[in-house]
Amino acid sequence: MTFTGAIGALCMFPLRLIIAAFVGLGVHPNILTFVGVLINIVAGYYLATGRFMTAGFVMIVANIFDFIDGKVAVELNAVSKFGGFWDSVIDRFSDLALFIGLIYLYAERGRTDYVMITAVALTFALMTSYTRARAESLIPKCKVGFMERPERIVLFMIGAFTNRMAAVLWVIGVLSVFTVADRVIQTWRELKRMAAEGKAAV
Amino acid sequence: MKGLLTLPARVLWHAFFWTYERATWQYDLMVIAILAFVWCTPPDWLGDPTAHGPGLIGWILGLLR
Repeated sequence: MTFTGAIGALCMFPLRLIIAAFVGLGVHPNILTFVGVLINIVAGYYLATGRFMTAGFVMIVANIFDFIDGKVAVELNAVSKFGGFWDSVIDRFSDLALFIGLIYLYAERGRTDYVMITAVALTFALMTSYTRARAESLIPKCKVGFMERPERIVLFMIGAFTNRMAAVLWVIGVLSVFTVADRVIQTWRELKRMAAEGKAAV
Repeated sequence: MKGLLTLPARVLWHAFFWTYERATWQYDLMVIAILAFVWCTPPDWLGDPTAHGPGLIGWILGLLR
């Protein structure tokens, strides 16, 4: 087993208990998704005020809600197309809340360089999900690129807990640019391949 | 021989054009590289607005001087 796989398996133990509790309570998954974004807004507030450690703990709680909503939906047999759409939209707001918190913090400290770095990271983080959504309306699958939402969230937490947010923003920014580029390349390749196959079939 | 010469280029291309799943050894390697950058790079080198100090690399360089 890889070490990231082992960490994932370790984290699943408490999460299974939490999922079971919400399934037992019969809480609708869409409500869990919404609670997740509200807690992320609180995390954004703590980032904005420079209280990174508190923000880290709040992010853990928020992302438990983010993570379990889909699992609870499966357990409660409440999976729906709207649920998937709602989850994607709310996730973008959760991303925005954290980035805006940091933009406020750096702006207040007069650090326009980091305001720009955070803004670029935010733009490409949003474009990461947009490019995949748009690509998958044209090609069957476009799951390439490293920097997806789970990676971003874990990096945010590492940055908050160890006070290394600047390095984290550089990583998120650069790897999000790569991820968007990967998705553009993948879509271009797949469309070209599909067009060639279409011509061959004719 | 040709394969060996193109190896660095292939490694760089695969790191850029990322197609690996989570929990693979390639993913682990990328995570280690990212964590090394985040934790070892001196905050002062990046002009970190909230953290200061030499960081791990700076501390090691200080020892070597």
